[in-house]
Amino acid sequence: MTSLTFDRITKKFGDATIIDELSAEVDDGEFLVLLGPSGCGKSTLLRLIAGLTDVSDGRLLLGDELANDWGVHRRGVAFVFQTYALYPHMRVSENISFPLVMERFKPWHHIPIVNFFARRAISRKPEVTKRTEEIASQLGLTDLMSRRPASLSGGQRQRVALARALVRDPSLYLLDEPLSNLDAKLRTQMRSEITELHKKVQKTFVYVTHDQVEAMTMATKIIILDKGEVQQIGSPDDIYARPANTFVARFVGSPPINLLPVIASKQQLSSARQIWTHPGPVPTAESLLLGIRPEKLRLSASSQCKLSARVEIVERLGAETLLGCSLEQTEAPADSVISDDRQNRIFVRIPDNPKLQVGDTCYIDYSPDDVTWFDGARGNRIDDASRPI
Amino acid sequence: MSETTNLLVSRHLKNPNKTSLTPYIFILLPIAYLTLVMFWPLLQEIVISFKDTKLMEPNGGEFVGFENYRRLLANNELSSSVWITILYTATTVVSSLVLGVISALALDIPFRGRTVARSVMLFGYAVPSVAAILVWSWMFNDRSGVLNSIADGLGMTSQKWLTSPELALWSVTMVTVWQVTPLVMLVVLAALQSVPSEVKEAAQIDGADGLNVLRSVTIPHIRPSITLVGLLVTVWTIRRFEVVYLLTGGGPSKSTNILVVGLRQTAFENYHLGEAAVFGVIGLILAIILVTASELLKKMRDL
Repeated sequence: MTSLTFDRITKKFGDATIIDELSAEVDDGEFLVLLGPSGCGKSTLLRLIAGLTDVSDGRLLLGDELANDWGVHRRGVAFVFQTYALYPHMRVSENISFPLVMERFKPWHHIPIVNFFARRAISRKPEVTKRTEEIASQLGLTDLMSRRPASLSGGQRQRVALARALVRDPSLYLLDEPLSNLDAKLRTQMRSEITELHKKVQKTFVYVTHDQVEAMTMATKIIILDKGEVQQIGSPDDIYARPANTFVARFVGSPPINLLPVIASKQQLSSARQIWTHPGPVPTAESLLLGIRPEKLRLSASSQCKLSARVEIVERLGAETLLGCSLEQTEAPADSVISDDRQNRIFVRIPDNPKLQVGDTCYIDYSPDDVTWFDGARGNRIDDASRPI
Repeated sequence: MSETTNLLVSRHLKNPNKTSLTPYIFILLPIAYLTLVMFWPLLQEIVISFKDTKLMEPNGGEFVGFENYRRLLANNELSSSVWITILYTATTVVSSLVLGVISALALDIPFRGRTVARSVMLFGYAVPSVAAILVWSWMFNDRSGVLNSIADGLGMTSQKWLTSPELALWSVTMVTVWQVTPLVMLVVLAALQSVPSEVKEAAQIDGADGLNVLRSVTIPHIRPSITLVGLLVTVWTIRRFEVVYLLTGGGPSKSTNILVVGLRQTAFENYHLGEAAVFGVIGLILAIILVTASELLKKMRDL
């Protein structure tokens, strides 16, 4: 049973700081997902936990013990690599049983000829073969035991890699983008299998991914990283509903959250193109970002007090429809400070299949409860709309 | 693209009986070249080994059947030469493989000055062979050689490196190993660069210590390269001439008389081309046996 504590962990490669004073705690049995764009330091953090890379500064605790200087083996972790890293010359059964053989390997087995017989003897021990077969049947590999990795499909290799990680019953599972080399369908399937596995073994999982869908569906806790710094730590719901800043808000959710730069005077909001009255409290700040998820926006028939927009993209997905709109220019820009870049296309996700076409005008409405406010300059979330920042 | 393909296909379909000459021309060139410089001389060698051809009259000579073979086998010269060749080759191959792999493994570990070390290791291969061997023959010199100076300095007895029949073959082998090892190292080092680091890390996580990572990941990965370079070194050593010729000339008392040196001596000092050809044929058979054996081994392992 292992909990995990990062205490101001820093990792540098030469002058480049990959991870900067990262602190977080992971409880025993949790499914932690390290989420972030490529190059954010998430894989490095995973390698730090495994002991494949040294910590430059700070403390890494496994359980209650300082593990900074522990060797890879002492940490007793299982690691699933993105490329699976199977032993190419070994059969599937040998791949899976390798950790068990190594566990029972004595130093004097290194003597050349002894080695050969010792390995054979160990790998034929009933406890080893039984455990190997058990895991293999759990992951549906029984028919593949005498094959070599080269003759397996991606999904099968993935399973072998998982089996090899599971066979030893470690207390901490580290997974480095294990699904990124699989096709979409297999990925969905493996996703639920890994979640099930976590429920069954009840061990701590640390899972690295850049895919927010994987993070949202599997995690009990997410750490969002960007440029080696923690952006937010929280449960998936928490991160989705209350993103700490615009980076998190944009990164989680597809299509991303709408962020509309506005200037507020009391309840009057002016964007670069339109002025309207916000139906709820507005924080008092110089410049604001109005954040609202695409699925929280509604289309309404009348033009009363709503934002009017021109439809530019219509993606019909069957069960739902995704609209990309741009606000119509109804007012002269209130202030040239407000940027009006084309990035600010507003996405609306609505159920069913409306009869809108590209070029139509639509009216967009929202509820003030669904709005998340961000500080326009720094991008941080403004918690209490009535309180000045 | 599809248009071109269609064109090609249709042209073939129209004239199914008319085959293009182009591929045969491509094959003809190497065949002509190999016939000229390889198959024909080889055939000549085999033919001459059954004749009593003399050096003065290379195109003459009568067919004498196995007379040349019989005579050489009778005075033990050929069999001892075969034995010396096998010993020389085996020792060279095994030592250079072991040393080459070890030094490649050492140079694969990152350390300060690794690039310099790598270049230094390649010297033996880079220096022109004859020059290097002449330097070695000075070093081996009984009186003024540096090897004996070192032996004296360390309080050991001086050795007759090249002039004692017991030691000469080992001295010659040593120089050959010195020459060949860098090649082995180079090939193995190249193979080592491509060992995926993730697999090594996976082995570490699975509880393998350094030696087990080496045995379970690194060695299997570089094994094909070692096999290949081993075969190359074997074939090259069987026909390697200059080391023995320049250092001992086959002596003392024929103790280093490998097949190729024996061939030269029989041909150009005994003026007997027929007998010399026998040395060549035996060497050829030896090489063929080794290559076939290694191919068979490879097939057996793949099964």
